[in-house]
Amino acid sequence: MRFDASGGDVQKEYIMLNIKRHFLPYWFIGPSLLFLVLIVVYPLGFSLYYSFQIWNLQISAVPLGPAGLTNYINAINDPTFVQAFINTIKLSVSVTAIEFIFGLGIALLLNENLKGVNIIRAILIMPTTVAPMVAGFLFRYLYYPDGLISFFLSSMKIPLPQEGILGNAATALWGIAFTDIWEWTPFFAIILLAGLKSIPAEIIEAAQVDGATFFRTFWHLMLPNLKFVSLIILMIRFMQVFNLFDIIYAETMGGPGTSTRTLSYNLYYRGLVEYNIGYASAIAWIMIIIIAVIINIFIIFSFRGKEL
Amino acid sequence: MKKPLPTRILLYVLLGIVVCVFVVPIVWSALLSIRPSITNRTLPPTLIFRPTLKHFYYCFVKPGVSLNWLISSLIVASSATLLSLPFSILAAYAFSRFKFFGRKFLMLWYLSLFLGPPIVFLIPYVIIMSRIGLVGSYLSMIIVYQTFTIPFSILVIKSFFDEIPVALEEAAMVDGAGRFGAVIKVVIPLSLPGIIVASMFAFVFSWNNAVFPLVLSARTTKPLPVGTLNFFATTGITWNYIAATSLVTMLPPMLIFLVLGRYIVRGLTFGAIK
Repeated sequence: MRFDASGGDVQKEYIMLNIKRHFLPYWFIGPSLLFLVLIVVYPLGFSLYYSFQIWNLQISAVPLGPAGLTNYINAINDPTFVQAFINTIKLSVSVTAIEFIFGLGIALLLNENLKGVNIIRAILIMPTTVAPMVAGFLFRYLYYPDGLISFFLSSMKIPLPQEGILGNAATALWGIAFTDIWEWTPFFAIILLAGLKSIPAEIIEAAQVDGATFFRTFWHLMLPNLKFVSLIILMIRFMQVFNLFDIIYAETMGGPGTSTRTLSYNLYYRGLVEYNIGYASAIAWIMIIIIAVIINIFIIFSFRGKEL
Repeated sequence: MKKPLPTRILLYVLLGIVVCVFVVPIVWSALLSIRPSITNRTLPPTLIFRPTLKHFYYCFVKPGVSLNWLISSLIVASSATLLSLPFSILAAYAFSRFKFFGRKFLMLWYLSLFLGPPIVFLIPYVIIMSRIGLVGSYLSMIIVYQTFTIPFSILVIKSFFDEIPVALEEAAMVDGAGRFGAVIKVVIPLSLPGIIVASMFAFVFSWNNAVFPLVLSARTTKPLPVGTLNFFATTGITWNYIAATSLVTMLPPMLIFLVLGRYIVRGLTFGAIK
């Protein structure tokens, strides 16, 4: 009897230990997970609920009842929303591509054995450290018809709109794009340069001794080595430009008219200028769905078969 | 292999152009902060003027309108960084050392939190914070910043934990320290540089954030980028004050990046690239 009981105790203890082991990781993950669920999942659930309600804060302090899919249908049929969507795609595709190409070019340039390259690398990261809102202020000043950029462009005989680069619906979006390109091209350059430096110098030299042209070395040796790095930073930047808000707020406030509204700015405007909470929540959820799809595509491409 | 002279000259010219494009806007705004306002918008732009510090004096000494925003920025960014640390160190340890159900999903979820649009949180946060009476407080911003500081710090600190051999903490555990003891006595001291790097980035991201304080801060709690917007509204756009305040906003992140040196790549890619 006594023997049995103590045997049972040992077994019980063993099981408890196993449960402890099994749950151990969750003790470490738990605090951050609970906190993030509280500050991420709860607010998003909150806006999912109100996206199916009629609620404009200018009319009523409380929701006026269920709206079904009305908010979603109104959003998709709203020409401003469609325009914001097109602007967002235009910006994120072109800006990311341009930043990547220029960044790669600068990385290759800095990879050459030139004097002063190390100092220049340290200086070059400066634009990336600037708060996007502040970068917006700086360029708003530079884009004035009497600002430095306009002065430079017109002295090169490039025709500019009289109302300034940001005052014209045709050029304002490119003004915003250029601000972002200025800020983040160094980011691509610095990271791609680190990728280039990680390729052993002997391999490159061996190829050159064997008579490989610069283009062939680049295509067959450097580019394959940059693939993972490139995917990661393209993903990061594409998403950040897709969510672009600060620069637009500082430079144009979505104007002139609605010509530079992106999805983010349009959401801000509908929700916190017009106070149409139900409608803006629906826009938020349309955005979340679009972005979830894009992020998943990126993740499948970049982390396929990779240990995390 | 040395390149022929014409090629080298061409490369130096290109290098010069690159430096000009990326540095001139910053230098120009620095000049704007010390030029007499009469030379702000002349055509052609005025290069020679008598520099003055009176704009900085107005912004930060008397009446010092920007000083208040500077203090808010410091409070919010450093508290947000400190608050994220205990959460992220623990989670980073679990991701680095254990295999458990949902590990990969959680890591990708944290990554996507960092890539997702901050703007979708704006409306629910304004409403929730006003219901619990926190709108306009430092605390509301500090809490909201955790949506990016915690996932970011977890991913970066994890990449540093991965480099510490497991044998070291196993030795500590054999010597009688528990799992938590081993983390505190062995893992954290050894990866202190990593934790500092993660904190510095978390600080910069919080410092540079303008989306959340745009709606969550009140007159007395505005951080620098949002406070600067005031200069656009009052009596015409006061560009010299904007430049002086912007310069002070830009300086800490620049200095931090200068100190971070080779860790910049790891931080900016959330630990994915070392």
